[in-house]
Amino acid sequence: MTEMEAKIRTEAARLLSEGLVDVVVAFRKEDAPLRPQPAFFTNVEDLENLVYNGLCANNLANYLTRFPQETRIGMLVRGCENRSVNALVVEKQHSRQNLYLIGIPCTGIIDWRKVVALTGEDILTYEDSAHTLTVRARHQTFALPRQELLHSSCLRCVHPNPLSADIVLGEMLPEGDPALIRERVESFEALTRSERTAYFKQEAERCIRCYACREACPMCYCEECFVDHNAPRWTESGTTPAGTHAWHIIRAFHQTGRCTSCGACERACPMDIQMTYLTDKLGKDMWDSYQFAAGMDDQTQPPFASFTLDDKKHFQVGGKQS
Amino acid sequence: MKYILPKHELNALLERWSAEYAVLAPQKAGAYSEFLPFTAQSELCLEEPHNTRYPPKALFFPQSEAILKYKRNLGQLESIEAVPQKRVIFGIRPCDAKAVTLLDTVFAEGDNQDPFWLARRAETLLIGLGCNEPGATCFCTSTESGPFHTDGLDALLTDLGGEYLIELLSERAAGLFSGLESASSAQQENAQAVQTAAEQALPKAFELDGLKDKLDRVFDQDVWAQLSESCLGCGICTFLCPTCFCFDLVDEAQRDTRVRNWDTCMFRVYSLEASAHNPRPTRKERTRQRLMHKYSYWWEHAGKLGCTGCGRCVRYCPVGLDIRAMLRKASAYESEALHAN
Repeated sequence: MTEMEAKIRTEAARLLSEGLVDVVVAFRKEDAPLRPQPAFFTNVEDLENLVYNGLCANNLANYLTRFPQETRIGMLVRGCENRSVNALVVEKQHSRQNLYLIGIPCTGIIDWRKVVALTGEDILTYEDSAHTLTVRARHQTFALPRQELLHSSCLRCVHPNPLSADIVLGEMLPEGDPALIRERVESFEALTRSERTAYFKQEAERCIRCYACREACPMCYCEECFVDHNAPRWTESGTTPAGTHAWHIIRAFHQTGRCTSCGACERACPMDIQMTYLTDKLGKDMWDSYQFAAGMDDQTQPPFASFTLDDKKHFQVGGKQS
Repeated sequence: MKYILPKHELNALLERWSAEYAVLAPQKAGAYSEFLPFTAQSELCLEEPHNTRYPPKALFFPQSEAILKYKRNLGQLESIEAVPQKRVIFGIRPCDAKAVTLLDTVFAEGDNQDPFWLARRAETLLIGLGCNEPGATCFCTSTESGPFHTDGLDALLTDLGGEYLIELLSERAAGLFSGLESASSAQQENAQAVQTAAEQALPKAFELDGLKDKLDRVFDQDVWAQLSESCLGCGICTFLCPTCFCFDLVDEAQRDTRVRNWDTCMFRVYSLEASAHNPRPTRKERTRQRLMHKYSYWWEHAGKLGCTGCGRCVRYCPVGLDIRAMLRKASAYESEALHAN
């Protein structure tokens, strides 16, 4: 058991035994190698199965909308998860007073695919430490530099620390460099229109319409997704280019001012499709146009979800020009 | 009949086949492999411990396929004929080949005679490659299959290091291997040793014997809620599954085409009725359906198990759900909780 695991278990045990929460949402020991599972803990005895390490890959805020508003949820939150929770609270998906956020400054999520590319699949045990992931495989033991295994979204992370947690376990980390996420978007913007189209098609057309990106995303909680609506039908539902293009474009647009760049969509994708270049582009536009970043607090409405009576209406005939 | 093929002669053999057949083989596509038209031996991915990521069922039953054209207002229908090429699918793993035979029970038995499936099946030869080192997420030995299982194959290759031993399994594939040397008895023994070692390297992940009855008995129990608690409800496990076959028919009216798309019981809308009633309202019922279908209902409709242990659902589940552990837990629940009551 790592030191952090012990701290989380202690705090979770306190919350459950003192009756402060009904459930603790965290991670459970894996069944398949390198794949800890999101889990709901409701009794103290079960906490011996709680684990925490860099391979805990899901954004747990995704599970917030599974519970009724009155359920008191204790939830493990890293930087991105905390911002997703904030964005969900802004959208009134749970009442903040019924949440107890156990914050963890995050050193980045390890991409299991990068690990097995180096070690092979036959993994017996592993240990995640500050700088190294040690993997004992059947034929060999590997000591892998952690930084080279991080998921690409985590390499560009700006806010690794929980922003509004009720308790923070561990030391706060330095903020990330916002230039990294910006540079990636700018390099995409710098492509010609036909190069951008080619890149978009190459990614979107591999899509198998499994909607793992949607289901892994905390902000995709609609009762009925536009692709599931059939009167009228908005898009083709198969894997034709018309269908996959529409899905990837509209999915991204629905995230405008809401996406926290956690990368859960890409980590879930079974076909290794890049999607964050679209949502990060929208994130950059929101910042440049409105100085807004999603989930920085649990009060501020995203620009596209709010209005005031003196909004500019320069797009409207007869609207105010400034 | 058993032949021997030095590995450096594989390229020439596949080129020879390419003159007469479309040859599909696992090749690199980004970070994973998929069945693509053969180009050169150097492009092949035959050394990976497991399967292509996307299941080869799609080569017979594509994920989206136009099955009918019509003219609105005129009341005219125009059928689409399946005109398949003669194909060799080379390097298919035994689990995936067996899966094709399981799908025959859906698309090519009794009254179910799907013209698209039948036409492609008739024109395709399956040349398998056994698995010397099954992956950690593989469990074929638990599912009436195995790393060198021959169901559905026209020939099976065993990798002996510098050469392949080829076991011919059907007459219709005999021409593919004409001119090859016969395997010596030493080579055959060597292959047998490789096959036995691979089988032994993959201990059973769960006990299949009696499992159907156990699952049937826990149908209405809470264990399914526990097993499905973290499930996202995406379609990865079923779309990557080589035996899942559910589909949806859609009229793409803007292009006057009826299309058959893969569908999945893991989606909420799959069982949503027009009245808004949903007989499988939560992930609990949907997860139960996925497991029960493969491990119980297949026995009822086809007399066979509906899973070949390929491991894709385990490997790619975004929340790390492992069907092997789920079956063990359901089974343990039946033994303990149910009998204790």
